[in-house]
Amino acid sequence: MRRYSGWAATAVLLALLLIVPAWSQRYVLSLFTLAVITALLAVSVNTLAGEAGLVSMGHAGISASAAYAVAWAVRDQHGLATQLLLALLVTVAVSALYGITAMRTSGLVFLMITLALGVMVYGIALKWSKVTGGQSGLIGIRRPESLLDPWAFYYFCLAILAVTLVALWLFGRSPLGLSFRGIRDSESRMTSLGYATPAIKFAAMMLSGLVAGTAGVLAVWNSQFMSPSAAAFEVSAMAVIIIIIGGVGAPLGPIIGAGLVVGIEHWLSSYVERWPTLLGLLFIAVVILMPRGVAGVLWDRRDGPGSTLPATALLRRSGGVRPTPKPPADAVTPRDLTDVRGHHQKGS
Amino acid sequence: MSLGYLSTQVLNGLSFGALLFLLASGFTLVFGLMRVVNLAHGAFYLLGGNVAISVTAATGSYLAGLVTAVVVTALVGLVSERLLLRPVRNNELLEVLVTVGLAFVIADLCLWAFGGNPRSVPLPEFLTGSVSLGSVTFPKYRLVLVILAVAIAVGLKLIQSRTRIGTVVRAGVDDRETASSLGIDIERVFTLLFVFGAALAGLAGVAAAGILTMRPGADTEILLFALVVVIIGGLGSIEGAALGSVLIGLIDAFSRLWLPELSYFAVFAPMALILVLRPQGLLGKAV
Repeated sequence: MRRYSGWAATAVLLALLLIVPAWSQRYVLSLFTLAVITALLAVSVNTLAGEAGLVSMGHAGISASAAYAVAWAVRDQHGLATQLLLALLVTVAVSALYGITAMRTSGLVFLMITLALGVMVYGIALKWSKVTGGQSGLIGIRRPESLLDPWAFYYFCLAILAVTLVALWLFGRSPLGLSFRGIRDSESRMTSLGYATPAIKFAAMMLSGLVAGTAGVLAVWNSQFMSPSAAAFEVSAMAVIIIIIGGVGAPLGPIIGAGLVVGIEHWLSSYVERWPTLLGLLFIAVVILMPRGVAGVLWDRRDGPGSTLPATALLRRSGGVRPTPKPPADAVTPRDLTDVRGHHQKGS
Repeated sequence: MSLGYLSTQVLNGLSFGALLFLLASGFTLVFGLMRVVNLAHGAFYLLGGNVAISVTAATGSYLAGLVTAVVVTALVGLVSERLLLRPVRNNELLEVLVTVGLAFVIADLCLWAFGGNPRSVPLPEFLTGSVSLGSVTFPKYRLVLVILAVAIAVGLKLIQSRTRIGTVVRAGVDDRETASSLGIDIERVFTLLFVFGAALAGLAGVAAAGILTMRPGADTEILLFALVVVIIGGLGSIEGAALGSVLIGLIDAFSRLWLPELSYFAVFAPMALILVLRPQGLLGKAV
């Protein structure tokens, strides 16, 4: 039965994403569009976290850089090809900077470095106003003619998301994709097997960066406006919480997580004034109460390709801590862990 | 460039470095023992600065503002550690995410309580004015900041190497399990250290309110600098935090002068270079 539950869930989700917007009003469509684009950014973070075990808190820096590239190209009245080429170049350059800086670290240090990089991109966007328009941002960005219709744009974004997920799934079965997972499960084992782990992590960052850049391009086409807030720490942190909600490593997790977060934000922020406070409390509640995420609680608990990885299995080996075997996939909660307090510190 | 101008910039850099040390030392101590990356550290700083400003304005006493700010941040640290961090203990990712949520909440409540305008604290008379050294005059407050940071650095080092609590903390850093099996209540040490780190961040906020402004976003900005300092200096190391603070403080002061728009890049470059050549940081232990 379980074998089919994943497929059934995929079918339901796909049907929902395909059918609902077609019949709904403009503002529901805009929510769906936002959720799909947000999901794509979360997919890029999920690729690094789920496949390579590296949690980035700075991916908004990459997506925003790509978005700025599109904004510059549009401002200078370049065509679609130039926009995309420039976005690609900037994405590759920024991802390479992220990769070079962070590839020799893992765990919490990786998280801190990517966070710092993301905040730096934000700071540069804010201060380098000659190029970025500073706080007031860049206006007058139009998406390509054929995507001007909001429904056409939504289905375009959905298609990009679907293609990305399939491509990443195929990639996950390639030798390089498998080596990502090898790093996630035990970096020291990979090193002793003769793999150049920094190079593999660099490749993982580049792959994930490309997805983030794509999300950035779609985001700026969607908002048709670019400001530093696209690179804000909140955006990066949101992507991480989305993959926690969706279940780290679950291929469809980012869609579920993004849908929930965008939906809740829309629903609550019309009633409550202090939305960021509620968002923060929501973060804390999710992390403490359901660290395996909604997807992890609902479905698939098998180990192996495509299964959700409990967030409790991530980030256990930073700071010279010896890698621990992945805990059994069922019912690992932080409360269980308090009973074996400190066991992962052994040998540090 | 005249000597006076140059030395003023150096002092500016050192005093910013002093602020960074107050922040980074607490951050790095908490990380060293608990493996908790406290991303609410910037929010504690913002809270401390804002409380000091409001209390000083209400009571007219700078000292009252300072003490209240440190006590309030310490209390918030205590509640956070007991209520929020304890349930996810030993899971590094979940701990980080809890502090992210906490940072959002504190920053938003600061915006609600203190408004969105940049604020700073009026300094008492004994901290204003300037000091002349030969042909050069320095603002007194910046000198005081440097002295305060040096005093705290020396104090921390002495506590760490000479006192019982310092020994306990070092034991916990080296081997948490053995330390608890020797009868040390490591949970209490965690709480104590987390509260201490929060109080230091609050103190940094009070100190910063005299030369910088407290405004929405100041928390993330200062958190970036604190992260860079500990990454450069080496995680968990007080000496590393001191070295990193001085370096980043000076780099920041001069890059603001020479490339004001790209000063963030000037902070990025040394961090990237050090990470490529020495991923564990200048004074960090090899990982």
